[in-house]
Amino acid sequence: MKNPVTVASGTFGYGEEFGRYFDVSLLGAVTTKSISLKPRPGNKPPRLVETPAGLLNAIGLQNVGIERFLAEKVPYLRARKAAIIANIYGYLPDEYAELAQRLESEGAADAIEANLSCPNVHDARTARGPVLVAQSCEAISEYTRAIRAATKLPLYIKLTPNVMNIQEPALAAQEAGADAVCLINTLLGMAINPETRKPRLANIVGGLSGPAIRPVALKMVWDAARVLRIPIIGTGGITGAPSAIEFLLAGATAVSVGSMSFRQPDIALRIVEGIAEYLSRHNIPDVRQLIGVMQT
Amino acid sequence: MRFIRDCEIVARECVAPGHWRMRLHAPDIARAAIPGQFCMVEVSETLYPFLRRPMCFSEIHDDGVSILYKVEGEGTALLAQRVPGQKCSLQGPLGNGFPVDGSFERHIIVSGGIGVATFPALAQALVGACQRPPEVVLAARTRELLLCEDLFKGLGCTVYLATDDGSAGQKAYAAGMLERLNPGEATRVYACGPMIMMRTTAAVARRAGANCLVSLEAQMACGDGACLGCVVESIEEYEGEKMVRVCVDGPVFDAAIIDWEAHNPAYDL
Repeated sequence: MKNPVTVASGTFGYGEEFGRYFDVSLLGAVTTKSISLKPRPGNKPPRLVETPAGLLNAIGLQNVGIERFLAEKVPYLRARKAAIIANIYGYLPDEYAELAQRLESEGAADAIEANLSCPNVHDARTARGPVLVAQSCEAISEYTRAIRAATKLPLYIKLTPNVMNIQEPALAAQEAGADAVCLINTLLGMAINPETRKPRLANIVGGLSGPAIRPVALKMVWDAARVLRIPIIGTGGITGAPSAIEFLLAGATAVSVGSMSFRQPDIALRIVEGIAEYLSRHNIPDVRQLIGVMQT
Repeated sequence: MRFIRDCEIVARECVAPGHWRMRLHAPDIARAAIPGQFCMVEVSETLYPFLRRPMCFSEIHDDGVSILYKVEGEGTALLAQRVPGQKCSLQGPLGNGFPVDGSFERHIIVSGGIGVATFPALAQALVGACQRPPEVVLAARTRELLLCEDLFKGLGCTVYLATDDGSAGQKAYAAGMLERLNPGEATRVYACGPMIMMRTTAAVARRAGANCLVSLEAQMACGDGACLGCVVESIEEYEGEKMVRVCVDGPVFDAAIIDWEAHNPAYDL
């Protein structure tokens, strides 16, 4: 990556949506919306509710499927020479492996990010018992090995914060051959309308993102960084260069900007610029010198 | 073309209890905007409330736009505290807007409650493009919530008032008023208001063989097609998608493609 800033899958569409606001090739990479082998319609609405300093979503991995992704979405990013981190989602390990293989053979990705942690799809909750794949170290290991065997592309595993101890799933991903982990996906949450006594989301539960979750994400990155050899992409409530730098100091090698792109579409680029300004102001020649150097 | 601009508030007025009209200086956005489109309005300079609020252009002026909104929650309450001279970030224009087609013989605007917000700009465009001014059904719960009557009359529109409680005009719902106007096959109906009102209005139009456009409302995060949070279900695969996005596939839709049966009123805003 030419700089340590990408965007969180699901908050940046397929890149083109934000190309209206800035040149997305200026980012370290564009991380695309989770794609599956077949198109998915996603969950019933309402899918979104705002909460204090954040939002809950239950989109349900609506996506165009791998074929339309390759035919309609990748050319836009390739034409602009944007680096692509392709986020993939499947039901079984074989599906992830097939997606990774296909993306590599089509030259459609510079790295694969496997979403083992979406909280909003019914089959993810039941495929391995009543848990997300990323809530079971055995399942993380099985899925990661399957994808690892299918591709030589850099493989990033996106993990869930809905666990007792983030170090365990992070280590499971590392031992199974991941090149990096992405921390964190959304926190499970819900909201109820007291007047109607109905949940605010048709899915009842959703994933919480936005600045509300930043301290939790930061702590998980710090926890994982102390035990991992592989890099961490830190994400969760980043709203500007100062919060992006917090993640680097906690031990992330790169950051991804999520929900803040909804509020300010060009925020990821502003963060690239803001980090450069910070480095120059502190006379730090290389951003890597910030990684994990929180002073205690 | 989309812009993100810090726009000066040049005027604001309380048009009914809890209802505000705000005019903003936004020449770039105004030049690019068409009726039916919207902007994402930043309601707080801090991170709470976090998201922008989608608001349609109520009027499109040479040098800016007006928005008309009802205070519903924390975001709109904060917006209502802003005064002329202060600035407010707008992102837009967004969405597809109303097509203006002078080949229809009759144009009937059917407005329910704060759904009226999108129609002054449309009425103005129709007046310029059509042989006769649109007819306007202006419906609301009660007399004081009938908004923009003077704007429509000033454009030469015939305005039919309806209230749920009979405090002004006919004691009727919007769809019932439309039925009394006998729309026909050469009529285009434009509806905006609560989902139940648009659904019944679309049903009246369909029975009459009239074309019907609806402008939908939804909770949005990005307003521009990325988050997939604002979808509604369409009756068939519309451009390959069962779920259509209110922000970029709409907010204006042909009423015939919306799956009204799938809509769950328990979640209405």
